[in-house]
Amino acid sequence: MAGLTDLTITAALDGLVKGAFTSRELTEAHLAAMAEARGLNAFVVETPDKARAMADASDARRKQGKVGALEGIPLGIKDLFCTEGVQTTAGSHILEGFTPTYESTVTANLWRAGAVMLGKLNMDEFAMGSSNTTSYFGNVVNPWRRKNGSNVDLVPGGSSGGSAAAVAARLCLGATGTDTGGSIRQPASFTGIVGIKPTYGRCSRWGIVAFASSLDQAGPMARTVEDTAIMLGAMAGHDPKDSTSVNVPVPDYRAVLTGDIKGLRVGIPKEYRVDGMPAEIEKLWHDGMAWLKAAGATPVEISLPHTKYALAAYYIIAPAEASSNLARYDGVRYGLRVPGNSLDEMYELTRAAGFGKEVKRRVLIGTYVLSAGYYDAYYLKAQRVRSLILRDFTQAFDKVDVILTPATPSAAFGIGEKADDPIAMYLNDVFTVPVNLAGLPGISVPAGLSADGLPLGLQLIGRAFDEATLLKVGQVVEKAAGFTAKPEGI
Amino acid sequence: MSSVVKVDLPRRKDEVTDGNCRDKVLANAPEPAHGFFTVPKVVE
Repeated sequence: MAGLTDLTITAALDGLVKGAFTSRELTEAHLAAMAEARGLNAFVVETPDKARAMADASDARRKQGKVGALEGIPLGIKDLFCTEGVQTTAGSHILEGFTPTYESTVTANLWRAGAVMLGKLNMDEFAMGSSNTTSYFGNVVNPWRRKNGSNVDLVPGGSSGGSAAAVAARLCLGATGTDTGGSIRQPASFTGIVGIKPTYGRCSRWGIVAFASSLDQAGPMARTVEDTAIMLGAMAGHDPKDSTSVNVPVPDYRAVLTGDIKGLRVGIPKEYRVDGMPAEIEKLWHDGMAWLKAAGATPVEISLPHTKYALAAYYIIAPAEASSNLARYDGVRYGLRVPGNSLDEMYELTRAAGFGKEVKRRVLIGTYVLSAGYYDAYYLKAQRVRSLILRDFTQAFDKVDVILTPATPSAAFGIGEKADDPIAMYLNDVFTVPVNLAGLPGISVPAGLSADGLPLGLQLIGRAFDEATLLKVGQVVEKAAGFTAKPEGI
Repeated sequence: MSSVVKVDLPRRKDEVTDGNCRDKVLANAPEPAHGFFTVPKVVE
């Protein structure tokens, strides 16, 4: 039943309600698709037995009339979420074989809503990367290919590259991602799907392998805005086990998708017109403004004057937090251990063998900026810049209700391109990083195709805890764009 | 800056909420022995 993998979550829920198919049939169709698409390397671990058991349990619950918000829907889970009894590696050798004895809050919420787990999705090592080429378990391949020019394998973006590739290639109906500097929105844009990074504190971080704790946030990735709305409703919520998870009510995100954005003020930040921005990105952005205007919204030019400092501040704060968080991987309590003659030697050998090049680079940067002589000059200064970036947004939201920007400065690039220049790689996140620094929600919606036939996304940024407006406006963009293109062969 | 969202860190009662799960804690240890983590000898 090949048609089953091309459904949206919304349509699949309808089909399950009507009895057109069972969760077991839906799950089998996805397991078969996963087996055929192993060349993409989207999954680190496939869990077919668990998937079948969960699907059968869901079908049994449905017979008893117990139906959750995601009842019977097969999902992929980024390998950053701890899953009880299923290996969780964060894409790193140092956690290879680590099998949590507990379940992350977000995944537990999804299972409680009736979802089915297909497996664990590949990602950049410890979520550090924008191309999914830093995973110990190999590169993920974007299911999209260029229509013109070279036919090289393209990156799916990162760090949630496995999630993006799997959703775009119809290997799962939706997937979880995490976003520290753009890791949901950039891969969503590169693969023509929808991804939302909720407000910091909206989803619990408990049981998610930590990268930069003040920036990390989990969110859904799926093929439509409505699908992400359904998933977010199930994932979000207060969790006493994460002291930064905020105790505010979770709205019915599906109910807010009214399409009515009349009178809404849409901010267009002039600082996002970066030098050398490709004409097709500029055009896409203008298209987005025109669509929202046609729907009754008012574009307003705004200024976010500290934008130019965001990447620099981010690449101090995120590595600083990462160097602290990753200190726990020392070969003592879990994960890889490389024997040494002394305790110190064991630590050194374990960390040298367990971490990849990009992770080591960031741990070194982080350790440096936190060291006694440099703390004030780098870390403290970056924190001050962060406050200014947040203030920029706060002042902008006095004048506007939502902000529209491109999601990425380019379409997906080839695997290996930008590999020898970390700065070029970091620039991928120029439009997404400020949102994490300010803790705000952001959504990436597929809006058009590049000259090479690759998907391009638009980003909407909202007020803290106003995911509802983002989703509503996101769906207006989605409908106006009429994005129906699919990767080759799908 | 202590937090990007305007909330105070919650407080809870200072009481034990977890525990009695030694085997779970040790389940992923590289070389557990007698209910403990082990490391190379540090005292001669």
